[in-house]
Amino acid sequence: MAGLATTFGSGAMTNSINEITGAEVIFVIGSNTTEAHPQIARRILEAVDSGAKLIVADPRRTEISRSAHIHLQLRPGSDIALLNAMMRVILSEGLVDDAFIEMRTENFRELRKHLLAQDIDQLAAVSGIPASQIKKAARLYAGAQKGVICYCLGITQHICGTANVESIANLAMLTGHVEQAYTGVNPLRGQNNVQGACDMGAIPGVFPGYQQVSDPLIREKFERAWGKALPSEPGLTITDMTHRGRENGIRAMFIMGENPVMSDPDASKVEETLKGLEFLAVSDIFLTETARLAHVVFPAASFAEKCGTVTNSERRVQLMHQAIPPIGECRSDSEIIMELAGCLGYSMEYENSAEIMEEIALLTPIYGGIFHDRLETCWGLQWPCPTRDHTGTPYLHKYSFARGKGRFVPAENIMPDELPDDDYPFILMTGRVYHHYHTGAMTRASDILSREVPEAVLEINSYDAEEKGLRHGDMVSLRSRRGEMEVRVKPVDTISRGMLYVSFHFHESPVNRLTNPALDPVAKCPEYKVCAVNLEKA
Amino acid sequence: MMETGTMRESMRNAVTDNVFMPNETVISEIIEENSTIRTYTLRFTDRAAAFSFLPGQFVMLSVPGHGEAPISISSSPTSTDAIQLSVRRAGRLTSALHSMKAGEYVAVRGPYGVPFPVDELKGRDLLFVAGGIGLAPLRSLINYCRAKNGEYGKITLCYGSRSPSDIAFKNDLDAWQADGSVDVRLTVDVPERGWQGRTGLVTTLLDDLTINNSNSSALLCGPPVMIDAVISKLKESGMDSEQIITTLERNMKCGVGLCGHCHMEGVLICKDGPVFNVRTLENIMGATG
Amino acid sequence: MEKNILKKDHVRPFLRKLARNSRLIAPLRTSHGDLLYQEIESIDSSEIDLSEQPQESAKQFLFPQQEQLFTYQSTSNGFTFSPRKSGMPTVLFGLRSCDISAILYMDVIFLRSPRDHYYLQKRKDTIIIGIGCNEPWDNCFCNATRTGPFLEIGFDLQLTDLGDRFYVESGRAVGDEILKKWPQFFSPVTDEDEKLRYQLMLEARSGFKRHVHVETAFQKIADNSVSPSVWEHLARRCDGCGGCAYICPTCTCFTIFDRPLSPHTGERLRTWDACTHDGFTRMAGGHNPVNTATDRLKRRFMHKLYFDYKQFNRPGCVGCGRCVGICFGGVDIAMFVDMVCAEKRDQRQNATVIGDLLIEAGLITRKQLYKALEKRDRTGMPLGNILMEMGIVTKEDIANCLADKVERP
Ligand SMILES: Cc1cc2nc3c(=O)[nH]c(=O)nc-3n(C[C@H](O)[C@H](O)[C@H](O)COP(=O)(O)OP(=O)(O)OC[C@H]3O[C@@H](n4cnc5c(N)ncnc54)[C@H](O)[C@@H]3O)c2cc1C
Ligand code: SF4
Ligand code: FES
Repeated sequence: MAGLATTFGSGAMTNSINEITGAEVIFVIGSNTTEAHPQIARRILEAVDSGAKLIVADPRRTEISRSAHIHLQLRPGSDIALLNAMMRVILSEGLVDDAFIEMRTENFRELRKHLLAQDIDQLAAVSGIPASQIKKAARLYAGAQKGVICYCLGITQHICGTANVESIANLAMLTGHVEQAYTGVNPLRGQNNVQGACDMGAIPGVFPGYQQVSDPLIREKFERAWGKALPSEPGLTITDMTHRGRENGIRAMFIMGENPVMSDPDASKVEETLKGLEFLAVSDIFLTETARLAHVVFPAASFAEKCGTVTNSERRVQLMHQAIPPIGECRSDSEIIMELAGCLGYSMEYENSAEIMEEIALLTPIYGGIFHDRLETCWGLQWPCPTRDHTGTPYLHKYSFARGKGRFVPAENIMPDELPDDDYPFILMTGRVYHHYHTGAMTRASDILSREVPEAVLEINSYDAEEKGLRHGDMVSLRSRRGEMEVRVKPVDTISRGMLYVSFHFHESPVNRLTNPALDPVAKCPEYKVCAVNLEKA
Repeated sequence: MMETGTMRESMRNAVTDNVFMPNETVISEIIEENSTIRTYTLRFTDRAAAFSFLPGQFVMLSVPGHGEAPISISSSPTSTDAIQLSVRRAGRLTSALHSMKAGEYVAVRGPYGVPFPVDELKGRDLLFVAGGIGLAPLRSLINYCRAKNGEYGKITLCYGSRSPSDIAFKNDLDAWQADGSVDVRLTVDVPERGWQGRTGLVTTLLDDLTINNSNSSALLCGPPVMIDAVISKLKESGMDSEQIITTLERNMKCGVGLCGHCHMEGVLICKDGPVFNVRTLENIMGATG
Repeated sequence: MEKNILKKDHVRPFLRKLARNSRLIAPLRTSHGDLLYQEIESIDSSEIDLSEQPQESAKQFLFPQQEQLFTYQSTSNGFTFSPRKSGMPTVLFGLRSCDISAILYMDVIFLRSPRDHYYLQKRKDTIIIGIGCNEPWDNCFCNATRTGPFLEIGFDLQLTDLGDRFYVESGRAVGDEILKKWPQFFSPVTDEDEKLRYQLMLEARSGFKRHVHVETAFQKIADNSVSPSVWEHLARRCDGCGGCAYICPTCTCFTIFDRPLSPHTGERLRTWDACTHDGFTRMAGGHNPVNTATDRLKRRFMHKLYFDYKQFNRPGCVGCGRCVGICFGGVDIAMFVDMVCAEKRDQRQNATVIGDLLIEAGLITRKQLYKALEKRDRTGMPLGNILMEMGIVTKEDIANCLADKVERP
């Protein structure tokens, strides 16, 4: 989410989910919305029903693209070229929102200079979309009063993920499509509480509420509350730990509710790191591939066995009640942490999660007015919610951006770190399916869900399949520079030639042995979405 | 909807037979038909559990731990002490079965489904058209007709396989040809070295035949595309769709009309089928366009 | 049958007697405000809440979401299968008319032949005490499915809320027995009571907020005049999550699977299944005769609104409206009926107009049109081109058809 932080000053959905219904034009980029975010997809379709126009940019013919008025079937990794081309059109056709740029933004000159140096036809060629289509899309988006952009991991999981997001922000600001209801930029989060985890400081450089660890005043505030000196340097990113743990001097790890052996790129490297640790503790509700490597496993309580809040994509903090007492020896995450801290000589005593929420409110301005008793009686509160009498914030950046002025950050198209060549002629994209969740630790335990999608399938363009002599159901072995796996193929018409698509939920087809750990330099998000591969019949 | 007062009465008096309980059988013999099809002879360990059946009916076969699957009975009811199932390795349960040896146990419940109309077929010439594992239920009927010496007319079998080495049920084919009871015609999709027979879809075999439409019935079983092609061919050549009889395959979980999996346009294939004549099918499908 | 008055004050003592040797199920509010049919542990500490329609139906008490059929054990000389003993006397109290009608529907499905042993065991000792709905809720349309708001048959006892008392009528011998066994709780019905009840029934019938024309929809389906665009519109919004089938009181499909408990033992289970799942009809090797979301939705709605109608002379939907609330795509049966009824020729999308014209002209069949539409959705090719590629029509056919249309007034 670094891209939105540099441009807007805050990395979250600027709108509420319901506002999508009222948009005039919706631009979906890098999001398989119907499968990954059905609730959002419904709002989009409702908007389309009542006359909104839909633009979808996706290399695949996804379900949502079937409802699109314009489908931009771009080459993987050419998002910036597409966005720059759209902005170039908007600029040359005089569709920019001058007043907005003047009042609310800075650095427009740079962007303008950058765009004027670009050639639309050239950009179109890079993205693989006809210039006429790009022009149509640009005019449609810029001409709307209320334009919403939704994006997801298809944008962020690239080495240029941050620049991708910045370009999206540029486009929105150029046309004045922020700071209002029904108008804005919306990153869609993959889980019910990714937003909450980020809000609570589960990213290296910040305390809860995106308060910088480098700020001495902030540090002092937290030190006073917690009674301990706190580091002023950002911590390590995930891949710094899972891929370069040894180099970074890590000897022990405590992993909660993650399965990096399956989910992180170049997974064999992760396994090697974890196996090399002196001590590994894992807390999870299932004995995952990662938990199997642990010296100590804490059985964690599931969502139904504990009480607490989650924060969804639209920054809505919602209270979840405990439905049943924990089964067996399971404990809630907070109990596990508290007890562990106690054993390590630091006492954390909270009577219940409501008390923890009180501390969050005390130390985190954006959560300042959020308490369990308030959440009991409503469908949650959207941060920023600074005080008890504040009713929450449906859309962000009203009157001014969180960082003051919105900043244009021009970007050059950066091709994926690994491009197809003679040895590895195909581009492999990864993603999820509707019926499974992440590494399948939970969903594959359900008989019906595993029947629905029992194994990974590799989607390949039917012409490519025919050329390779592959039929539906054939096993192929798929290789990249880093690893290899076997998977069944399914010829489809929904992706272009030269591209492959596979889901990442199945340990029998561990696609992250193949993916590229090349990182986005700012957000440190690995380039999951594209890598070069080859395949042959197994 | 049935009035529930009477329903309640009948419930009270009902003998509560539990249709979901399978009966144990022992595998007494395994015949390797080709690389993916094997025929299993099953004997009931409890003789009382043995049942009578007619060709075209199927059982739900259990390999406990792997679930159940619908499998046609491929033996003729005229040989009564055991039943045979011919099973193609297709997935979980069938692979588990293929790893078992004679002397091991499986379980079955049944027989289920509407059989071939053996009485109405009496005296008629019978044209059997099968592809791959589709010969399994037809094998039962062919052997039944052979055993009822003289009750049925001329028997012709057109059988398609993927390749010569995939031709299954060779023992049966040989025996039928040897005693002249069946006019066996074969074809393969992909020829191999030394294959001198026909190549091409099973419909090409039909071109060679002169069918007396007024006194012939056709019985089909095989993959859906084959069935569609054969039906249109036979209808073109003037056969009445009531005399074309086929079996339908659907995902089945209960086999007795309770689970809903095999529902098709208002009928339950497990109970109202799997054997249908094409006239009936056309009426069913025609009802909704 | 018998009619009586039961004072509200006496409901608890009455239930205490009735539930002495049975489990008692009635609507209870959870601590989070949900109203659910639940087993009542203690009559004194539970507050039965008859104020609105419970969020789930009573399906689970006769046909549980997951149910063991038997356990198996393998030894060197074979298997032992031990069936599960299921069922104990049960009183279902405070059931809504839709939920009772749904039980009647399940009776037909599970008890025609062969009988479902597990359902029967639970059903045969179940007493049903229903309550008519004085006020229909927002999504209800049982008036259209003829399953409420008050019932004529199906219950053992039916209550009508008359304020401080219930009007109690018996629908079957079992109901009469109950009234006879504990006469102390009941008093005779007065003329006033009869009048009041009649008035309430009239008001209830006119209180429906939705008008879902189920029979019109049936007619339209029977006349084959539902345009493919309706199915398509809904299919695009269906994610195949199965929520509608799980919540539906008349969805009775289930799947069976084995769950090993140790290397030699395990259980065979059945769980609810949903026809909107792709795997519901998929066969070994991946072939699926009901292959697209459009086909699956068609199958679901046709089953409830057409095939059941044809067979039982009433729909398989009891109008409880629960799928309206549960589907986040807005793909519910009421929406379907509304769309079918609202549909007029000129509202259809262009592409299907061509399709319908070609059908009218007798050049293609509806089936072929569906096939072509499916392909159009997959490939994005224009419908006309697909039909030409399929070799069904020529360019001239299409041109003629369209020309005809333009000439028409
Ligand atoms: C009436 C009828 C008769 C049949 N007769 C034979 C026969 O004689 N010989 C033979 O080899 N095969 C026959 N089949 C097909 C056989 O049932 C499937 O190949 C088998 O179910 C595959 O099970 P599996 O567990 O090995 O495969 P998986 O793919 O692992 O099966 C998954 C589940 O789906 C269901 N299923 C999958 N495919 C089918 C299917 N085609 N039909 C019904 N259910 C399916 C099964 O219940 C199974 O539990 C018949 C099918 C039907 C409907
Ligand atoms: S289809 Fe919907 S409204 Fe009808 S009975 Fe089922 S859940 Fe209720
Ligand atoms: S298989 Fe269960 S209803 Fe036919």
